Amino acid sequence: MPVSTPVLGIIVLIYLMVIFYLGWLGYKKTKMTEDYMVAGRKIHPYILAVSYGATFISTSAIIGFGGAAGALGMGLLWLAFMNIVVGIFIAFVIFGKSTRRMGLKLNAVTFPELLGKRYQSRFIQGFSGALIGIFMPLYAGIVLIGGARFVEATLNINYDVAVLILTIIVAAYVITGGLIAVMYTDALQGSLMFIGMAFLIVFTYIELGGINAAHTALTAMNGMVPESLAAGGHLGWASMPALGSPIWWTLVSTLVLGVGIGVLAQPQLAVRFMTVKNDKALNRAVLVGGPFILMMTGVAFTVGALSNVYFFDNLGQISVAVAGGNTDLIMPQYINSAMPGIFVVLFMLTLLAAAMSTLSSQFHTMGTAIGHDFYREFIKKGELGQTINVTRISIALTILASVVLAYALPPSIIATATAIFFGLCAAAFLPMYTGALFWKRMTREGAIASLLVGTFASLFWLGFVHAKEAVPLGISQALFGKATLLTGTWTVVDPILVATPLAIITAIVVSLATKPIPVEHLEKCFEREIKN
Amino acid sequence: MLGIDDPQIWIAYVLCFLSAIGCIIYGAIKWNDGQDEEAC
Repeated sequence: MPVSTPVLGIIVLIYLMVIFYLGWLGYKKTKMTEDYMVAGRKIHPYILAVSYGATFISTSAIIGFGGAAGALGMGLLWLAFMNIVVGIFIAFVIFGKSTRRMGLKLNAVTFPELLGKRYQSRFIQGFSGALIGIFMPLYAGIVLIGGARFVEATLNINYDVAVLILTIIVAAYVITGGLIAVMYTDALQGSLMFIGMAFLIVFTYIELGGINAAHTALTAMNGMVPESLAAGGHLGWASMPALGSPIWWTLVSTLVLGVGIGVLAQPQLAVRFMTVKNDKALNRAVLVGGPFILMMTGVAFTVGALSNVYFFDNLGQISVAVAGGNTDLIMPQYINSAMPGIFVVLFMLTLLAAAMSTLSSQFHTMGTAIGHDFYREFIKKGELGQTINVTRISIALTILASVVLAYALPPSIIATATAIFFGLCAAAFLPMYTGALFWKRMTREGAIASLLVGTFASLFWLGFVHAKEAVPLGISQALFGKATLLTGTWTVVDPILVATPLAIITAIVVSLATKPIPVEHLEKCFEREIKN
Repeated sequence: MLGIDDPQIWIAYVLCFLSAIGCIIYGAIKWNDGQDEEAC
């Protein structure tokens, strides 16, 4: 049900004015480096939880992964479960508290800096910063694509212009207002997302005759799985794919485990634990975060799968067919045809908010990774200089890279690029980050070895084995004359399942073989625990 | 259960709710814990 462009334009305009006001508020409150980098370490628990959730959940989670659920079915709910247990509970209660304390003890203001200072290594900080600076534009690029496609479709403006407008708006408040502005605007955007998704699930169940009726209708459609999907192991939208089939591997290894575990080592999320002043704020944030994520991914995946029932009842076709084979179009098509007009407006705003909240944090993280971690700490050996200004310039440069990617990347890349970035972060950072917080015996050499092994094993697997990326990239074909170096099931196993265990083993073996970190330094890192 | 035949799916569906409720209970019980840790 279309809504008139002027009405939508006015609503979007009001929304943007509020965003600018919050950005300006962040600018006014930013007085020191610590304000710009970690919001002065005194953010309110509600803002922390919603900002974390809104950054975590982008357009790609709602549209991309919701669409994936439309094609693959409700098995994706395992990812929603992982998002809540790993992404919120384990992240806040186990990783968050230790990260906050150590960040404060070591006076770290970014994720790479926390790792670098814990292991007393500028290389770790510089390499991690560079890795983020190089690969995060890929992730930011696809979020930008998602947001710009929305602006293009709803406001009827050219896609290229939409990319530029969206970039300038987000860049303006990130560059001037730093993390305070990012988190304030996130909180507003997250609240909008919560309302939008709540309406979506309620309307969907009402439309389909109730919870049980909707699920029963979806179960009854098991026989309608198209031949191509059934051959890959698809058993229906209310069933898991056949154990060990290609679709099962994609669902379990790339989507559920890759994204589910990868979230723990996301630099733009981990830095948020350093923005609160005590553990109380983290405890309270869990209360808000759990239901928030349930409302985001839980709703997106359920509605994505149930769209099959709606389309079959009304058009006699399954969702993938209605969307012409492009899963990214399933959610927009469903919302446009099934929901009342006023909801379409609300949901469009939800999507714009989801894209902007993720983008703002990505821009901020990329800028600080290059400006603070790579330039100041690695190149200038810690010299203070013009840190904030250099960071601002770096934000501008990485934004430029993201925009170029937004123009250059092919249309079907959204879900793939998200999974690549999450998987790479898990392999490169997770063993080193976990060791930093919980294993005092882990050494600098162990950390460096695991960082390098995780990074390069992950990139190697993407370039030479995992068919989904290796085949289109064509590097293996060019070098060895084979599309992938390994064959069979290996080509559908996600890099995270190979590179992360390798990095963990490397971390343990190298750490045990090298000299422990001096006790004095460990005391500095873990002061409170050792004293008590 | 809930109109879904495959236990692997309805278990996931139920677990999503239980884990979110678990987060609410944890946050409520620990509402005031960790307050006096403002070291430094």
